[in-house]
Amino acid sequence: MIDPVHFIVFSSLLLLIGAYGVIRNENSIVVLMSVEIMLTAANVNFVAFSTYYHDLTGQIVALFITTIAAAEVAIGLAILLSLFKQRDTIELDLLNRLRW
Amino acid sequence: MGETKGIPRVLLNKIGLFLVLAILLLAYLLMSSSESPVHYSWMIPVFPLVSFALILLFGLQDSEKGGSIALFGVSFSSVFSLAIAYDLFVNGTARGSYIESTRVWFSGSTYSFEFGTYIDSLAGLLLLVVGIVSYLVVLFSISYMDDQGNRRVRYFAEISLFIAAMYGLVVANSFLLMFIFWELMGVCSYLLIGFWYEKPSAASAAKKAFLVTRVGDVFLLLGLVIMYNTFGTLRYSELFADPQILMDNLEEVKWATLCLFGGSVGKSAQFPLHVWLPDAMEGPTTVSALIHAATMVKAGVFLVARAFPLIVHSPDTAIYIAFTGGLTALVAASMAMVMNDIKRVLAYSTISQLGYMFLALGAGAWAYWHSVDSGLDPGYSLGYMAGLFHLMNHAFFKALLFLGSGAVIHAVHTQDMREMGGLRKEMPITSITMGLGVLSIAGVPFFSGFWSKDEILVAVNNNAEYEGIFGALWFMALLTAGMTAFYMTRMWMMTFSGPSDRIVTSVISSSGHSETGNWVVEDKKVESHAHEAPLVMTLPLMVLSVLAVFSGLTLVIGGGFSSHVYYGDPYEAHGMIQWSVIDHILSSSLTYLSVTVGLTGIFFGIIFYKRGPDGNSAFSTDFIRDVWIFKITHTFLSKRLYMSDLFNWFGMRTWDTFAQISDWFDRNIIDGIVNKIASLSLDFSNNARNLTTGFTGHYASLTVGGLGALVLLTRIVMPIMGWSI
Repeated sequence: MIDPVHFIVFSSLLLLIGAYGVIRNENSIVVLMSVEIMLTAANVNFVAFSTYYHDLTGQIVALFITTIAAAEVAIGLAILLSLFKQRDTIELDLLNRLRW
Repeated sequence: MGETKGIPRVLLNKIGLFLVLAILLLAYLLMSSSESPVHYSWMIPVFPLVSFALILLFGLQDSEKGGSIALFGVSFSSVFSLAIAYDLFVNGTARGSYIESTRVWFSGSTYSFEFGTYIDSLAGLLLLVVGIVSYLVVLFSISYMDDQGNRRVRYFAEISLFIAAMYGLVVANSFLLMFIFWELMGVCSYLLIGFWYEKPSAASAAKKAFLVTRVGDVFLLLGLVIMYNTFGTLRYSELFADPQILMDNLEEVKWATLCLFGGSVGKSAQFPLHVWLPDAMEGPTTVSALIHAATMVKAGVFLVARAFPLIVHSPDTAIYIAFTGGLTALVAASMAMVMNDIKRVLAYSTISQLGYMFLALGAGAWAYWHSVDSGLDPGYSLGYMAGLFHLMNHAFFKALLFLGSGAVIHAVHTQDMREMGGLRKEMPITSITMGLGVLSIAGVPFFSGFWSKDEILVAVNNNAEYEGIFGALWFMALLTAGMTAFYMTRMWMMTFSGPSDRIVTSVISSSGHSETGNWVVEDKKVESHAHEAPLVMTLPLMVLSVLAVFSGLTLVIGGGFSSHVYYGDPYEAHGMIQWSVIDHILSSSLTYLSVTVGLTGIFFGIIFYKRGPDGNSAFSTDFIRDVWIFKITHTFLSKRLYMSDLFNWFGMRTWDTFAQISDWFDRNIIDGIVNKIASLSLDFSNNARNLTTGFTGHYASLTVGGLGALVLLTRIVMPIMGWSI
């Protein structure tokens, strides 16, 4: 039997992996992908608890999140494209002009 | 002569016109109601007050107008004053009594204050003096100030208000009303002394005059409070009505009169508050004449004379007044001997003569108290009469001397007597009239100063056998008489004798000594372009010189001064000329002593300071430089006893230290707190902004770290510590 604990541990691992990816990577696209992994972690929780409580609301929210994530990726990629046009790079360590 | 530069011809005609108008108004009032002119006394201060307002309203349209409007108001009040004085002293209205008229000013459930006029012989005497002197001073001012342009408007407005305040003070019927005019006069003296306010010395002199007299005013106000709390009234007629009430409250009377005298000390520049008066010479000379002869300083004497019925119940106050007067007379006369500024000589002379008046009043009050105390009939108070007699005489000769010095300054454009000399030929009228003033103040027999000074010395000497201090005071007064004669002769000789063009080399008349202690010998070529003053200026001088010479004779001619202005019983007059008084004076050895002392002073003044053909004095005064004791004394007196320095030092040590501590506190504590808060925020922000590195990874780490910290806090730390949200 798979307990909610298993799902929670799994989604926590996903979240940590995503966070590690966001923190450590210099490539913007990989960071974007890591953010998507973190969103997936949240989705896993929603779906797991939806099943556990027999309440479909969680799955509906998961669908919404997936949709928004898709839109977000589209926007993110568009930003990265225009950024590359402007600066000839999408390396995050080189994009540090907005600071003190 | 008749040179009227800057004065419209019309004005000369107006002088007569105003007087005629004033007399017509007075005649109309007297005819229509057939009352004594005393009943119109309330109008006297109103006339100059109205001209003050008129000058402010219309004066700026035409700067020539100010003088004639002021003269208009002063003419009217002078005519009314003289009419009242005539009514009092010749017709004998209100002799030994008073005429009071009151209106309710404001009232509460338990009190009411009335304002009105209180005319007795004392007020009449002051009206006489102020009436004559203020008119002549305003007349003189019109010419004296003719080069001042639009400033004349301000001058004449202020002087009108000044005269109005003095008149108000004289005719007021209560100490409260008097105090109001007293303060008003303080403001006017501030304004007039600081007339040339762009000069730093004048501005500071004005402030000094105001602040120093203010010290006295605080005491005066305190005296009024004591009197009101004790007797429940400040009206003269109610205060003086019942001697028994005064006798029952001797302690209060003592403190009240001492405080009143404190006001006089400030206003009349008595020791130790005399420091403002010499500095007050920064104002126009006409203002000095007015302050010294008729208003301001005479107000202090008037106050003591007014409070005389109270003072006779307090021997301590009387002795204190006499002692202050005697000491001031001596100290001021000694300083007058070394001053080189012609106006400062006169200023110290005024202080000294005022000291005489206070000495006489104090001695008179003490003698009166002593007679009553030992069960004798006090008769009439010689000291009271002598003090007021000297007030009148002094007003005339001091106004004369000041206006004369004004004419001299107007002609030579300097106040330094060392640069004068030889003016006798250029300014014959001024020199002769001033010479008469000098003879009067020096106490030469049969000039006015002789009579009053003699009476004062007699009044003081009469007390000497009962109270030892009066013996000392009499000796000081006698010494002062000699010094007065000396410095006045010195002033006249330095100003008028000798040739007009010369080189000044005299050591003693140079500016003292330099920082190193060596005497500075000045060689200065002086050329004279002086000329006699115009008629508008010499006319007041001539009138005043006649008064200065002959006003003393009022003691013996007619009813005699002492049968009108007296305290206690009137002096019984016999016939037109009081031969008994003359006989008494001529047969007294005191008279010969004081005359001898005065003539000795004049003698030394002449031999030391009469300028020879080379412009320097015939008899060398180098011994003052050579003998150390004279040198030290001379320096000490030239520095004005270091009194001003002492006050400054005291001020620096107390208020300035306090101010510096406050300044330090403000800079370091108050500002320190504010600055520290600001700098702490600044430092914090400076450090905090280092977090904004621009690296995405850092931000993400912080977010995740923060989340982790929150989880640790809420899930681990708080349960362990037992906290709950």
